[in-house]
Amino acid sequence: MAPPPAPGPRCLLAAPPRPPLHLKPLLLSLVDDHLLPPSPSSSPPSSPPSLSFPLDHPRRDHLLVTVVSAFASALSAPVSRDHEAPHLAALVDALLAAANRPNHAPDRAARALACDALRALDAALPGLLAEALGHLYALAAAERSPAAQSYLLLLASAARHAVRLGRLASGASILAVLTPAAAMEMMAILAEVASAVLQWAPAIAAHIKVQFGGMVHSSSPMLLHSLLTLFVQFPDAFGAEDERTMAHRLALAAREVHRPLAVRLLALHWLLGSVRFRNLVPGLARWFYPAVFDPLALKAKKLDCLASVAAGVDGEKVAAADRASDQATGLLDDGLVCVSAFRWLLAWSTETGVAFRALHSVLVGAAPHSTDGTRCSGAGELLNSTFFHHLQAILVDMASEHQGLVPVIADFTNRLLACNSHRWAGERLLRTLDECLLPRLEPGYQLASYYPIFEKIAQNETVPQHRLIELLTKQMVSLTKKHGPDTELKSWSQGSKVVGICRVMLKHHHSSHIFLPLSHLLVLTIESFPDLEVRDHARICLRMLSCVPGKKLRHIMGVGEQPSGVTPSHSGSLYDIPSPRAAQDLKSMPDLASYIHLERVVPLIVKQSWALTLPNFSVQNRPSGSILSIQDVSSAPSEQENPTGPTIERIGYRQETLRVMDSKGAATLQILRRYFTCVPDYLHSSGFKIRIQCTFRFDSEPFNDAWGLDLPVSGSDGADELPALYAVTITFSSSAHFGKIPSCHIPFILGEPPGSGMDIVPIDNQNREESSYCASVMIELEPQEPSPGLIDVSVEANTENCQVLSGSLKPITVGIEDMFLKASVPPDTPREGVAMYYQDLFHALWEACDSSTNTGRETFPLSGGKGSAAINGTRSVKLLEVTPKVLIGAVERYLASFVVSVSGGSLVTILRGNGVIKNVMWEENVPDASVDADALVPYSPDNNLQLQLVDDDEIGVGAERYGHESKRDMGIMRVMIFLPPGYHLLFLMEVGRASTLVRIRTDHWPCLAYVDEYLEALIS
Amino acid sequence: MSGGGCSIRAIWILTPNDTVAFSRRFAVVEKRWRAAWEAEEGDGEGDRRGTGAAPLLFPADHEVAAAFAERRRREGTARGSGIRTNVSSVGLDSWVDDPITRHIISLRLDKEEGDGFMLWPVVLQKRGGYYVLVLPLVDPQPFRAYENLLKRSDCGSSAKENGNLSSILFNLPCITGAFMVAHVVGDIITGDIAEPEVIISSGPSVGGLLDSLTGSIGISARAKPIASPVAAPTASLSSPVGAAQSDSLKGGVRPFDKDLLRNFIIGAMPFGTAQDLNYANVTSIRTTGFSGDPLPTDQKQPAWKPYLYKGRQRIIFTSLETINAALYDRDDVPDFLSVSGQVTCRAELEGLPDVSLPLTGLKTAHVEVSSFHHCVQASEPTANKQTLVFQPPLGNFVLMHYQAPCNIAPPVKGFYQLSMVSENEGAFLFKLTLMEGYKSPFIMDFCMITMPFPRRRVASYDGNPSIGTVSMTEHSIEWRIVSSGRGLSGRSIEATFPGTVKFLPRTVQRINSSFRSVSSTGYTEDSDSEQDNAKNGASLDDYIMEKINKDLQAVDLEEPLSWQAYNYAKVSFKITGGTLSGLTIDPKSVNVYPSVKAPAEYSMQASSGDYILWNTLGKCPTAALPREL
Repeated sequence: MAPPPAPGPRCLLAAPPRPPLHLKPLLLSLVDDHLLPPSPSSSPPSSPPSLSFPLDHPRRDHLLVTVVSAFASALSAPVSRDHEAPHLAALVDALLAAANRPNHAPDRAARALACDALRALDAALPGLLAEALGHLYALAAAERSPAAQSYLLLLASAARHAVRLGRLASGASILAVLTPAAAMEMMAILAEVASAVLQWAPAIAAHIKVQFGGMVHSSSPMLLHSLLTLFVQFPDAFGAEDERTMAHRLALAAREVHRPLAVRLLALHWLLGSVRFRNLVPGLARWFYPAVFDPLALKAKKLDCLASVAAGVDGEKVAAADRASDQATGLLDDGLVCVSAFRWLLAWSTETGVAFRALHSVLVGAAPHSTDGTRCSGAGELLNSTFFHHLQAILVDMASEHQGLVPVIADFTNRLLACNSHRWAGERLLRTLDECLLPRLEPGYQLASYYPIFEKIAQNETVPQHRLIELLTKQMVSLTKKHGPDTELKSWSQGSKVVGICRVMLKHHHSSHIFLPLSHLLVLTIESFPDLEVRDHARICLRMLSCVPGKKLRHIMGVGEQPSGVTPSHSGSLYDIPSPRAAQDLKSMPDLASYIHLERVVPLIVKQSWALTLPNFSVQNRPSGSILSIQDVSSAPSEQENPTGPTIERIGYRQETLRVMDSKGAATLQILRRYFTCVPDYLHSSGFKIRIQCTFRFDSEPFNDAWGLDLPVSGSDGADELPALYAVTITFSSSAHFGKIPSCHIPFILGEPPGSGMDIVPIDNQNREESSYCASVMIELEPQEPSPGLIDVSVEANTENCQVLSGSLKPITVGIEDMFLKASVPPDTPREGVAMYYQDLFHALWEACDSSTNTGRETFPLSGGKGSAAINGTRSVKLLEVTPKVLIGAVERYLASFVVSVSGGSLVTILRGNGVIKNVMWEENVPDASVDADALVPYSPDNNLQLQLVDDDEIGVGAERYGHESKRDMGIMRVMIFLPPGYHLLFLMEVGRASTLVRIRTDHWPCLAYVDEYLEALIS
Repeated sequence: MSGGGCSIRAIWILTPNDTVAFSRRFAVVEKRWRAAWEAEEGDGEGDRRGTGAAPLLFPADHEVAAAFAERRRREGTARGSGIRTNVSSVGLDSWVDDPITRHIISLRLDKEEGDGFMLWPVVLQKRGGYYVLVLPLVDPQPFRAYENLLKRSDCGSSAKENGNLSSILFNLPCITGAFMVAHVVGDIITGDIAEPEVIISSGPSVGGLLDSLTGSIGISARAKPIASPVAAPTASLSSPVGAAQSDSLKGGVRPFDKDLLRNFIIGAMPFGTAQDLNYANVTSIRTTGFSGDPLPTDQKQPAWKPYLYKGRQRIIFTSLETINAALYDRDDVPDFLSVSGQVTCRAELEGLPDVSLPLTGLKTAHVEVSSFHHCVQASEPTANKQTLVFQPPLGNFVLMHYQAPCNIAPPVKGFYQLSMVSENEGAFLFKLTLMEGYKSPFIMDFCMITMPFPRRRVASYDGNPSIGTVSMTEHSIEWRIVSSGRGLSGRSIEATFPGTVKFLPRTVQRINSSFRSVSSTGYTEDSDSEQDNAKNGASLDDYIMEKINKDLQAVDLEEPLSWQAYNYAKVSFKITGGTLSGLTIDPKSVNVYPSVKAPAEYSMQASSGDYILWNTLGKCPTAALPREL
């Protein structure tokens, strides 16, 4: 491979025009710095330009350095110097030639540089100089100028590579002429050479000691460290005495104030870092005592050493003698004196940091982390040692005497608790604080300083809480007593902190353990604490304590908190703010409706899925003589008041005041007037409300699959493994005229265990509602029109991992039967008169709904006096071909409360006997059914609802059947149903043996559409 | 691969504004780093493959600057906290919980594309407002080990566990080397490159290597280097008076001579491996070169002595001692006095002679520890005597360092009492004895007492001292008992100074210290927990101090204590004519071989370091004395 011409230094420097002189070193440095990174394919500079540089050129050496650096970094070993890199060979030859004039005085610096250059090349291309080794030896031996150092290093370095490559040579042994830095390099090289030949020449170890042992007293840290490495590499060369001297020397080096701080620290590190000195460290204890003016860093490190000694003392002899433990505690006490200011300085002072670091290092020194990371060695012994007791006593005393240190102590325990190996120590410490510190504390404002520790105690499951709760209870009492106009803020602040601790307790403890005292504390707070917010807080806590099951509760409260690390902030942890998380992409979620269910408790009789939404069509197409009834006679029913209100209601309003009336009509009117004054006027106030009871539940398994929840560590009881939803809000909307439907809220619900379903959930609805898997939801409608419809359901909830779930569920079907209400009774009606009243009302309405009557022109003022109603009746009939038994069963089951009167002997007998229908008018005699003569007349030519009945065949058949009195002679039931907001549905059921004829009248014709189907469903 | 030596991959010098003022990288070393990683990759430990490539990248200057700025942001200060606090988190140096992580830091480089990577160990030195970062070459294994330490999830390692920081550092001499490199680079930046001082009793103090050199080769001497007035070790003792304790810089940074530094690096470590870190030698060789210097005929000339002396021969020794003292005047707390001393030497001797110097009185002086220049071969100390044999380098050098107690009575003793009579007024009393028991050769050159009030502004003072003059600055009161030029010799004096000091009313001053803001976040002051100390029977003094200390900042780990939390008086003085440790050299016993006629001179000087009179009526920091096990 023929290298192309060099782009390198030669171009820069040899090519004219020459750059100004002062730029040259900068250019060289630039080249030097940017030799990196050498790409493998790049070729080295072609020839050594230094050769053409005059010897006395001021930049010659710099240029040489650059060129050699370029070669060394660009070439990769192995290089055959003759063929592959002729320029390298030329360079090496030139350098060797330059070096080859030993003791030539004036150019000694140049010769030294040549040697250094050769060494750099040799380091980059090991073995380059292997053949010249003998020559180098001769040069090194001959040279007497200070350049000898470079010769020696070159020789040693070349020799090292010869050794590495398997070609042995003997090391040189001249140290006295080297500078410390060079000596360090030399020793590193020699040590490697020597250890390689140690096998064949064991005497070399002794030689090492003779050569280098004297450096132990050197003030140069480099020499000291070099010597240390020799200790490691030649363990046999140095005896126990040497080791002692060395260890002593290192301990003292840290006391030499003239040394830079870093070196003093390093000396202690060396002492601790070598296994060889480890057993010597205890003997050096007196040298580790920190002095007043030692920098804090050094104090800290010396305390490390003392800790190491103390741990050693304690570890070895703990069983043997108390004296040992005394020594250890003594060392600890003595050591802490030097930073004793930490007791009264502020918590963030450096002294405090150093002191607690020392305490920690003592502890960890006595029980180091084990390699497998599980439990550390020496835990058991340490726990029982006087030493550990002493440590605890120190901390307890500190906490009780210096309140400023409390957060630091809390941090200290936290650090232990967060460590897998030392959790036990932290827990023991907390227990000790609980046992020894808490009894010493008195309630009062100053107790607030201790809240950080209380919080730690509250967080820990292994510490019994009763003392803490007791103290906090006292504190609350004391705060309450001290409360006054000046202390409002204090009461609030301290009170909320106490409640905060209670929250922490809730989170970390089985509620059963703390239930009694904690609820006592909370109740006390709720009852008597002066600050409202604190009371509120306490109330929430108490509710959570009593409502949400144990682990789930703890999980909720833990949401949003950081994982328990060493560095939670202090102030924040009392009140958690859930971390905002991006709501999951709802589109990627499977349909919520597939696993979240909102269902009616009572299924509809009519299994219809359609809903006739009555828009304005029917009315608008209609001429003015209309059906719609409730009319507003007041001033302006503003759109703003009821924007969703149907426009149909004002159509057909006609002021009719002129009427003629007979006495019967007058009685009817009177009844109706009286009645309508108790019907609320929904346009001006709230109307009647319909309630539909539903249940809310969700399936665990598909839920977990969908949301990928990380459930808390599952306990023994199954409930903890179940997912939960929090703060569920169910909102409803409907296109039907159901008014505004209030949303429902469910604070907490567990997912249904997988596989439960039929077998586990009891059939009994009551029980089901009470289960924690199932919440009962009441949908309240305020219909403005009695029609069935669909209610769209959407749900929003929080999952345990703080994700927000939202989506829509299956709609709830509202049937016409949901609209069935009892007619209202005027308040002045006596109880026993209700049945009579109903009967009268039935008859009155029946009359009124006869389209032929005059009441159609009448308006009836409603409750409140603003609005009024009118009646436009419609009639219909329906033949139910069922046996009386079925009919009676259906009526008793579904319509019992709406029955107004029963007549006819057999019917009365049966119904009375059944006892389901009560408080109605019983009439033994069947009244004359002549009222119904026109029953078959279709009331309106375009009323398609009666198609069934106007069918020609049917009429014939029906007429024939109805002719047989005997077939429907069992009796008559009158059923009166109120349809909100102000309509009525009247059934007159002529019950016969084989069939029943239902005569229907209503003042709301659209409902007939559903009634027909309803009646069909009733008996099917 | 890196062995026991020290090779440097790169040096950066950053300004406080996070720009790179200087950088130097060493291609040769970088190549070895890559080779080591590639070899490690080749070994094929499967789980390591993923991260293996990242460390092979090398950051651009601006990336280093950005990483350093980012680190300062995460760790609170540029150096970091060094201690695990409640704001430390996994991956930060402070997570390792060792003070040395303020000096050996990791830098996390976040590349835009792909993974970031870490630079470690970066040796950090803060000098003259600049940050010197030195990155030595380490093997992949210790690098991984440190990475593991950063990631440990437990509560912090102990020295007994495998893979702890101590053992990592033990096995990395290159870090120690990098420290020395950083130190020298720092010296060059700050211009702190004067040689140690040698004092001769007659005439001005002598210069350094260049003076010898120029003298010997007949060039007129250059301007004398500015020697520090007192050869106190500056590295570890900082002035406590109003010491600024924040990383933010007061004033601007002085630009430094980059050419000088570049030159030095080429001479000291041309290929990234340090060979000589002696600034004077390296620069002399590069600037002066060698003319026709003769070589020794039969010996190797040491590298640390590149030039031989020629001229009138003499040898000078100087003992320089610094005394640190904490004087309490209390029954329950013993006073603490400690002397750290050094013997500097200047040997103007021709050729390469050996000098032997017997040290006597070691035991009497209770010399605790001593270390020697690397040219010294010290005999094993026997009883009271130890002989040093050395071939002295040219110029001034520190022959030995030692630590000893103060073996005569403290030069200034007595007490200082300050009692706050109200929040803004204090009454104080000094009662001191100077130079008691010091006989004739001892001269106290000057003595001054400073009462620092770094957090109060002094309005006025009242009172007259029995001797000396008093002056006042914004934050202190200074009492000159002995002024320079009128030295105190051969007698002792008593000095008393009763008086009062009035302060301006305190304004709540919030000094924006980044350290405070970081470390105090966890411990917000809670107004609920305020205590009424006056009720607890504590004295008014304590109450006032407590109140003042509320806004005390945390000090750096480099400080020995929170100075501002105490009331004290600091004594400064200089004594010549003797040593406080009692360790002296007999110039007559100095032997030179081969024998030449060279007079030996010797001078002694002691000065105060942290010489503190703690307020007897207030709180004071102490340290326990070792007990025998």
